[in-house]
Amino acid sequence: MDRLKILQIIFFIAAAVIIFRLFYWQFLAKNSFSSDAFLIESEIPPSRGEILANDGFPLVTNQESFLIYAKPHELEKNPQEIAQNLAPFLISEKFTTDSARLSDADKEQMKNEVEIKEKEIKNKLSDKNLFWVQLARKVTLETKKKVEEKKISGIGFVQDEKRFYPEASMAAQLLGFVAFDKVGRDTGYFGLEGFWDRNLRGKPGRLGQEQDPLGLPILVGQYRPVPAKQGSSLYLSVARDIQFMVEDKLRKAVEKYGAKDGTVIIADPKNGKILAMATIPTYDPALRGEFDESLYKNPAVADTFEPGSIFKPITMAAALDTKSVEPNTKCNVCSGPRQVAGFEISTWNKKYHPDSTMTEVIQNSDNVGMTFVAEKLGVKNFLSYVEKFGFGQKTGIDLQEESTGFLRPDEDWKQIDLFTASFGQGIAVTPIQLVQAISAIANHGLLVSPKVVEKVADGQGEEEIEPENQVQVISPETALQVTEMMVNAVEYGEARFVAPKDYRVAGKTGTAQIPIAGHYDPNKTIASFIGFAPADDPKFVMLVRFTQPSSSPFGSETAAPTFFEIAKELFIHFGIPPEK
Amino acid sequence: MLPVSDFKNRNKQEKKHTGGVKVKLMVVISAAATLLFFTQLVFANGLATDGQKIAQIEDEIQKLESENTILRVEISKKSSLVSLSKKALEDGFKKPSLVITP
Repeated sequence: MDRLKILQIIFFIAAAVIIFRLFYWQFLAKNSFSSDAFLIESEIPPSRGEILANDGFPLVTNQESFLIYAKPHELEKNPQEIAQNLAPFLISEKFTTDSARLSDADKEQMKNEVEIKEKEIKNKLSDKNLFWVQLARKVTLETKKKVEEKKISGIGFVQDEKRFYPEASMAAQLLGFVAFDKVGRDTGYFGLEGFWDRNLRGKPGRLGQEQDPLGLPILVGQYRPVPAKQGSSLYLSVARDIQFMVEDKLRKAVEKYGAKDGTVIIADPKNGKILAMATIPTYDPALRGEFDESLYKNPAVADTFEPGSIFKPITMAAALDTKSVEPNTKCNVCSGPRQVAGFEISTWNKKYHPDSTMTEVIQNSDNVGMTFVAEKLGVKNFLSYVEKFGFGQKTGIDLQEESTGFLRPDEDWKQIDLFTASFGQGIAVTPIQLVQAISAIANHGLLVSPKVVEKVADGQGEEEIEPENQVQVISPETALQVTEMMVNAVEYGEARFVAPKDYRVAGKTGTAQIPIAGHYDPNKTIASFIGFAPADDPKFVMLVRFTQPSSSPFGSETAAPTFFEIAKELFIHFGIPPEK
Repeated sequence: MLPVSDFKNRNKQEKKHTGGVKVKLMVVISAAATLLFFTQLVFANGLATDGQKIAQIEDEIQKLESENTILRVEISKKSSLVSLSKKALEDGFKKPSLVITP
């Protein structure tokens, strides 16, 4: 064998060895080799979409914040010392912000929290079996800098964005909040955050990238990052200036009337768009842990209550639409209290108005007069209209915690139930259902489902949100008749002293007793006022409701003045000149 | 018929000729391999530099995005109605008593 052949064989063997080795790396040892050593797979968290008011100002945006972790095996100081250094920064933001003004009780609470946190951190850091341990999430940039100044080896940070509320607690119950789910992912709860969670959260991306030993990307390698898709942003119909003004007036009114709580809803009756929705007391979503959980639900859509007299226009609308009565029909049972199935039905002030017309029945808020209307209307028609007006079902508003209210089953309705329901007792409705129903009267009988979000926008485009339901509930003529009755009620009824003289406002007061354990509490009421203006071309419909006002139990002395005070501001906002 | 000695000589010459071709082929292959090796080195060097540049650019993007987020938060904090109304009150602004509607 000559030397050339020997050389050929050597080349052949060397090539075979190289090919075999490459095969081994490529196929047999691929997983352990590539993923452990060079291929970096990590999730890229998406930014959550913003929530913006109708002027484009963010009511909710994102703030830079961080997850703090430790690698116990890399720690150089002892866990106790590190825990002592870190704990004061990782407790509730209530104590850690520079602007925090702490009372003595707060300082004591802070001391306890620091001690608990210190123990928690120490336990985590002492476990040397752990390669990586999470110490805190959503800590601010300010806190991150303070921790960095401590120069503790083995402590690191990862981006972990959190929500920021530029207007602080404004519209908190409408917005909802973001918290962790069972697996630690950001999830929206309540209000818009809850309802639109899927749109807001976006899609996480993935980074799959080969790196060289220095950690730099190898471009010819498997460089395949999947970018995170940012969550869609919500553009609301809520007007920030109206919301601000309403909250301010409502806060003062709740205090003035000594009410347990107060709620105001303002909507555009023509398209169901919510312009403002406020409840006092409220909470700060950035520090929600410091507030009672009962405040998280939005009472404007979640609370059910017996509406009382503000329900009378609905019954009257049904009776007028079915031609059961006319505006000038005279009540022949209105001369005194009425006895039905062992119950006495009387007026709120024990004053009676014999032969009053239907317009006067609404003006005087006459319960006995309403039993006359209900008798003419009948149970079947009453229930049919109540359902058409959207009671007993969700309105379809885009807020998570909406409830349906309560209507007893059709077969359970007796005459006494019909009579009491005709003036708003014995049925349970939500504030938003009432706004929707009265909006239909203001909108020529066309019922439109309310909506808070006008538009959903992501990087690719925008989607306009249209109301799902548009139902002609009553005829435009009936709507006009009820409107005139409500205008008359404002001008000549109980609220006439607080109503503005130069605008035509359609409205109705309500004072409902609160049912407790099978009877009504004689001292506790829900005072309310609902209406719209200007009556001939409404720009807004508004509900004001106070629970258990202590200065006066009546809607005409609490809710009505608040309604007109807000309405005066709205006239200026919309540039509505005086009509008279 | 050729004499035996001529046949042997011819065979040797042919072998000598064929061996020369093989050597030339190997030289060409070796040269090509060397050239490719150095070309790869040049490209790999370029890629390594590009990788470094990309890493730098990504760092820069992240830094700018982070600054944008901070600025956006600062702007919204300062222009919120809550802080504006507070400032207006501190500076002695009052609500207008007369309003002219169009």
